[in-house]
Formats: sequence, C-alpha cells, structure tokens
Amino acid sequence: MITFSNVSLIYPHSTKTILEDLSFHIEEGEMVLVMGETGSGKSSLLRLINGLVPHHTGGILAGDISVDGISTRLVKPGSLAHLVGIVGQNPIQGFVTDIVEEEIAFGMESLNFSPDVMRKRVEEILDLLGLAHVRDRSIATLSGGEQQRVAIGAALVMHPKVLVLDEPTSALDPIAAEEVLSILHRLVHDLSITVVIAEHRLERVIQFVDRIVYIEGDGSTSIGSAEEILRTAELVPPIVQLARALNLNEIGTSVREVRRNTEKFREIEVDPEPRPLVRNEIAIEIEKVSHSYGNSMALKEISASLHKSEIVAVMGRNGAGKSTFLNSIVGLHAPQSGRVVVNGIQPAFLKGQERRTAIGYIPQEPSDLLFSTSVAEECRQADRDNDVAPGTTESLLHRLVPGISATAHPMDLSEGQRLALVLSIVLSGNPEVLVLDEPTRGLDYRAKNTFGVLLKEFASTFNRTIVIATHDVELVAEFIDRVIFIADGEIVADGSTLDVLLSSPAFAPQVAKVMSPKPWLTIGDVLSALEKTP
Amino acid sequence: MKRQLHPLTFWICAILIAIGIVSLDNAAVSIAIVGATAILVYQRREGYPWEKSFSLSLKFGLAILIIRTVVGIVIGVPIPGRNLFSLPIVNLPSWMPGIRVGGNVTLERLSSSIHEGIIIATLIALFGAATSLTSPHKLLRVTPSFIYEVGITLVIATSLFPQLSTSATRIRRAHTLRGSEKPSLRRIAIPLLEESLSRSLHLAAAMDSRGYGVSKKRSRYRPQRWLTIDSTYLSIATFLALAMVIA
Repeated sequence: MITFSNVSLIYPHSTKTILEDLSFHIEEGEMVLVMGETGSGKSSLLRLINGLVPHHTGGILAGDISVDGISTRLVKPGSLAHLVGIVGQNPIQGFVTDIVEEEIAFGMESLNFSPDVMRKRVEEILDLLGLAHVRDRSIATLSGGEQQRVAIGAALVMHPKVLVLDEPTSALDPIAAEEVLSILHRLVHDLSITVVIAEHRLERVIQFVDRIVYIEGDGSTSIGSAEEILRTAELVPPIVQLARALNLNEIGTSVREVRRNTEKFREIEVDPEPRPLVRNEIAIEIEKVSHSYGNSMALKEISASLHKSEIVAVMGRNGAGKSTFLNSIVGLHAPQSGRVVVNGIQPAFLKGQERRTAIGYIPQEPSDLLFSTSVAEECRQADRDNDVAPGTTESLLHRLVPGISATAHPMDLSEGQRLALVLSIVLSGNPEVLVLDEPTRGLDYRAKNTFGVLLKEFASTFNRTIVIATHDVELVAEFIDRVIFIADGEIVADGSTLDVLLSSPAFAPQVAKVMSPKPWLTIGDVLSALEKTP
Repeated sequence: MKRQLHPLTFWICAILIAIGIVSLDNAAVSIAIVGATAILVYQRREGYPWEKSFSLSLKFGLAILIIRTVVGIVIGVPIPGRNLFSLPIVNLPSWMPGIRVGGNVTLERLSSSIHEGIIIATLIALFGAATSLTSPHKLLRVTPSFIYEVGITLVIATSLFPQLSTSATRIRRAHTLRGSEKPSLRRIAIPLLEESLSRSLHLAAAMDSRGYGVSKKRSRYRPQRWLTIDSTYLSIATFLALAMVIA
C-alpha cells in the first residue's frame, strides 16, 4: 500500500538529514508504529505519506514514496485526500468548522460529493465512532477523547485506504486513550485500513501494532515485527524492560503474553515492603476548597495536606478538576470558599520575587515562559529575575540536558529540551513548592526518566514539595510517592501510589498488570522482591 | 439555542449600514447605531470565542477616536471659528506647505476632528459586530472555492484573531504565576507570535490534506438556507441605509 524507496530528507536551512536512505513497504491492513526519540523525524515521516512534506514544508526529498501506486512527489496533498487520511498531533488546531457534523463533512464537500452520499457517510461515521449523541455540538465543548474521535472520523469519512495518526493519545487520559486505540484496532481488522501511527507512550499502543519502524538517534532506521525491534531497541515500554530484566526468552507485547511467561515469578512469597508516606512538616494545607465556573462546580469542598519533600501526583480524567486544583495551589485565583495556605502564606497574594521563591509553576505549554532569542539569553534573564549568581541557570540546564547549544533559539529545541530549559529557569529561584501541569507529554522514555530523577533529587535534597498533574501512569509508578485521584471535583482516592494505582485497573501500570495480584508497580519492585527470595 | 442565521446576513447588513453612515455623515446617528449594534451583539451572544471581537473593535475604535482628536488638535488646516485655546506654532520647512503644526484650536476644528473620529470608529464597530456575530467557520463554508487562496487566508485570519486573545490571557497568566505581574510586551508577544504562526501552519496543512480547493466545484452538506429572518434583518438594514443615503 505504501512504499518508501531510498527516501532521504533535508529541510531547508538545515544541515542535518532527517531521514536517510529509508526503504520499506507497508501492506494493506497493517498497523505500523513509527517510534524514535523526540525530534527524530517521526512527524516528518508521517507527513511524507500524504505529501505534506515536502509540498507544504519545503525541503529536499530524494527517493520516492508511493501510496497505492501514486507517487506523492507528483501530486499535492489535496489530491490524495480520498486515499490518505491524516490526523495531526493536536486535532483542535486542524478543525476547520465548529460543529461536529460539519467538520466530518468538510472533506467531502471539498471534493464535491453529492449531498445524499454525504448524508449517508456522515451517519455511518457518527455511528462507527460513537459520536451520534454529540453530532450538533460545538467541537470546542467536547472532551479531548471526543475531539480526537471527531478528527479520526473526519479523515475516515473519505473512505481512505491509509490512516496516518501523529501521537493520537498524548493529550488523553488512559481511559480515553484506550477508546481511541480500540477504535483504530477495529478499523484495521474490520475494514482492512492501513494505519500508520507515531506515539511516545509505547505501553499504550504496542499490543495493537503489527510492525515497527524505528528511527534511531543517528538517523538510521530499522523495520521489523514488534518483537524483533523491541528485542534490541533502546526505547522500549515497561513490559519489555520487565522481560529483559527477568531474562525471559520471549518478549511479549501484551500483558496477556507476558503474564503467561512470568507465572513462576508470581508464585514467590515475599512480605511486601512497607512504604510509609512522608509525614514531614506540612507545606501545603488545603481546607474545604470549592470553586465553580458559572453553574458547574469544578471543586467541591476539597481538603488535603501535602508535606515537605513529598512528590504528589494529581490524577483523574480530563475535566475532572485537576487544573482547578493546581490553580488553587498556585494562587491563580483565591478559592471561592475554603482556604489554601502554602508555607504559611495564602498563594493568591504572592507577588514578584516572593512568589518566585515560594511557588515555581510550569504551565502546560512551557514555551509560554520563553521569549528570548537564545538559550543563553534566556538563562541570563532568569539569573537576573531570581537574583542569583550569573551562570546558575545555565549550569543547572547543562546538568539536566548536557550538550544543549547556548546559541540555539528556544523555539528550535526539542520538546524535552524546552521543558528542561523552563524547568531550570524556574528551579534557579529554588522555590519551596514546585507545581507542574502535564509536563511529560511529548517526551520519550529517556527524557522522561531524566526528568523523573531530577524531580526526586530536587524534592529530597532541598526538602521541597512537588505537585504534578499527569495522565502518565508509568511516570507516576516510577517516581511518585503519593497520588490524589480527582473525579468530578471531589477527591476519590488519596494515598500511596501503590494503593491508588492498584485499585483502579485503568490506571494500573503495565508491570502491575502483569504481576497482579502481587503489589509490584515497577521493575525495581519486582527485582528487589526476587532478590529477597532464596 | 438561537436561530442560526445565514453567515453572510450580518456582513451584508454591516456593509449596507456602513455605506449609509458614510453618506449621511452624522455623528449622533452613528453613536445611536453603535448603541443598537451593541444591544444586538449582547442579545445574540452564545459564548463563542470570536464574540470578543466586538468589544475589541470598540476599544480599537475608541483609540482611533482619541488619536484622530489629538492629531486634529496638533496638526491640521486652520478652520476659523470660536477660539478655544492656542498652541505654539512650529515652523516647518518651506517644502511642506499647507500643513501647520500647532496654532489656534477652534471649536469647529475640534468638533470636526471628533466627528471624523466617531465615523471611523463606528465603521470599525460595525464590522467588529459582524465578525462577532458570525462564526468564522460558517463564513468559510459559503466562500466560493475559486477564491481558494484568499479563502484559506481568510479562515486563518478570522479564526486566529479570537484565539489570539485567549492565548494572550494564558501567557500573561503564566508570567503572573512566575512573579512578573506586569510582563513586558516582549514577554507576551514572542510566545504569542510563535504560537499563532504554528497554529496557522497547522490549520493550512490540515485544510490542504483534506482536499480543500481541489475540486473546482464544492458541494454543500445541509446547505445553509436563507431564512425569512435573514431577509428581515437584511430589509431593515437596507431600509436604514437608504434612509441615511437619501437624508
């Protein structure tokens, strides 16, 4: 269906080849995963399939790509609209209309389909993707998972033979992600659509894919079945790391497979290691805080106290009230009722330097805080803002991500590097409390690991409190002590990571699913338990 | 939910009334029309992001009014009449005849500046109202595809404008939470610019890959029908415009 022959790609004003001499063939009805580090050229590869690269971006393309026998070099992306459906990283940015039905019909209108065909197909798609109940809603009011489904529907309605998706689940909570992926799985099996998907959170997609295109750091590429690639790849999901750590002969891609191979490990009897929660001084005290937007209550009389040197994750589905919870802590608004106290101060009154040393906040879009033309200038500004010795921020940054060029423009950095830059700017003020909103979307496993280690170090060496809102179950399992689970504006669970994650199957990390009923969340847990058995 | 009007209705009304206002050239009538428009916008609001463009256009119009008045006081052709106060006259080089900086400010000179300012501000408010009453997405759907490139620019511009203000709020908030209460323009503008550029590129790419502009003819899914209420609005506007042109 899709053939890449000797494809190389260079963008204008750049000396780095994005892809080099890439050849592979994807059959009809295959589901193929494109994986690689952030900035390795995954998105470029995906957009080569419908010709957005190079027709839209410029750049020099060598070799040839053909989709269903048509060379993308010769036709513009629009002429492939009936053949290739593409869903971008951030679907909301690609919506052309504002009503669900109209959005789905947009592509057909452009290709001048007759009105009765359009009516029929829109109905089909609404049913297929379970969107019939929101058909005349405004897209902006839908949840993240629904929006993603609308984007997929808008692509599918053209009856394409190929569906291309760029990180379709990165903004979604685990449950919504599962919905989207199982729909894709069904499309592959029922309609034999070819699906090409890029995703960082391999643990979510790996069980569905047939083959993997792996773009390595040095630009070389390998293609093979999921097992083949994962056996040697550097970026692998926890389930494969587990298989490696336990020296299993076969690595599986689904929980079911690995469970079969690990039966003997679950039989050992070890007393679970008690992991007491941190009970230091209280740093953040939240007392019966409520907040509402118009008629809808976002928080309902929430109370919690967070301690020093504690890392707390705030989890929950999209729209459960996580952001409002964070906003109350950082003092974006004074709580409408109740009280928030951060180290003796009400955060809504904090200003200037006092705020910088009291609360460090990393917004969902870290680049909101960047405005200089180079990394070095950005660091110098942070030194001045925080009144610290010149060079403090820069040396912090180099510890976080070595080898970041001081003259690089902040907007040219990869997602992970940009997060590191913003993190070092905020941390150079050495704030008492660090609050992060969804920091790890778009990060690969390695970047995520560096990030997690840093957070742990910061919390323990400086005795700081860290609050982090996230959907990333694996990050939570690995690095976080305590989880507050919010649903519909109320705290439904508050306890150690182990207790909270194990009690909800949707939010349990892969290792826990494999090792259930043993209370092990991470590979480290498994290994240390095995060590203790004779 | 309010009755959905045809996306062109308010735009045509705005154009008609604008013609009327320009030909009538009466400040009092203009202010009355801005007031009526404000009521209409308020009545039909549904909480969409682009509805902010009306208040934005009012502010913009006010700024123009002020600038026009100041410029009218400082620079301009002397108009005889009742003298209000005098400014020192700046001597300009001889190759700039007919322009005078400073000098006597008469009531007539002041009022004619304010008058012009009001007319310009009214025109801006009218089109601001049309933007805020019409979904930019719907507007795109009625543009014929032969103006493809223009169409794409139009959607991007119209859908970007309201998003800009949302993003600006978000960025300013991020800076406030970093402890800079009055962030410099640069701190807001640079991330904002970056975001709007990438957003527009995304939208253009998405439209392109979905076949926008490929076919010369475009079909309509549930075409937006021209309803009686559209005709009502349009006839009121035509009547007003005619009345103003004739008067």
